[in-house]
Amino acid sequence: MKTPREILLGRHQAAGPKLDAIRKQALSKLSHQNTQTERQAASWVSLIFHLAGAPWRELILPSRRIWMGLGAVWAVLILINVLQGDHTGRAAGSRAVSPSVMASWQVQQRWMNELLADRAIPPDTDRPRNPAPRPRSEETRWAMA
Amino acid sequence: MPEVSAPEQLPVAPARAGDPAAWDALFRRYQLPLYVFVFELVRDEQAALDLVQETFIAAFRHIGGLREDEKFGSWLFGIAHQKCIQRWRKRTEILVAEIPESADDPDGAPDELLIRREQEAAFMKLLEQLPPPQRAVLLLHFIEDFPLEEIAHITETALGTVKSRLHFAKKSLRRLLDANTIL
Repeated sequence: MKTPREILLGRHQAAGPKLDAIRKQALSKLSHQNTQTERQAASWVSLIFHLAGAPWRELILPSRRIWMGLGAVWAVLILINVLQGDHTGRAAGSRAVSPSVMASWQVQQRWMNELLADRAIPPDTDRPRNPAPRPRSEETRWAMA
Repeated sequence: MPEVSAPEQLPVAPARAGDPAAWDALFRRYQLPLYVFVFELVRDEQAALDLVQETFIAAFRHIGGLREDEKFGSWLFGIAHQKCIQRWRKRTEILVAEIPESADDPDGAPDELLIRREQEAAFMKLLEQLPPPQRAVLLLHFIEDFPLEEIAHITETALGTVKSRLHFAKKSLRRLLDANTIL
């Protein structure tokens, strides 16, 4: 006595070798696909490197002495700039603490305040508010005069 | 012959990661059951072999879509079933035999049905005579002992339809075996 499963699988046992071959074929296809995708990824990486390397090869390498000279000049300029920046910074710091400069600045500030106070707009109380309406005849006479 | 009743630890996760050894193990486990299922549906050796290979390749390509690793088997049979349907459609065969949806009793486990040596030929002949939708359900039930829900998922049919197909298939099988005064 057998179960239907045993009968079914038993009937097709002979297909085993063919199925093994198919399995191997499928696996080789899969590994081929894997290597292809890996190769594609590798080709992308190499393309990026190639694109990045192209300007290096065509622009920099043929005239590398000129580029090195330019680079050195730029480096010296940057160094000088940095050193000067430090010096002026230090000078600015010393000026900030100088009492004579502070005193002169305060004097100038005071003068400025006085000048501005003279030109200040008079307060609202001094300004004439809403002049009383006059007859039109008087207005025209004033305009003609 | 691989056992189906015990829960299996299938190397689905490493297969998903692209491990060839895991794929080899999975294919080795399912190659014969899958071939039997496909062969009994298409009744053509070369076509069955081709469909098994196509199923393997499709499984490799679409493993990312498998949500539950423990359902790898039913997922694989689902792919094979779809391939069979595509082949049938190409050959414009009429497949669907309408069966009334009844029969709540799926008639027990597949191992309950025992067949004597002298009945084997009759059993195979009957299987061949069944309409393909009934045959597919019966094969999935017999070969891998899939639960009815999974069979419904594989065959993309309603659970009630699966139940009725299995019921009628088994009924036909019993009738035949009774006619031969066996079982």
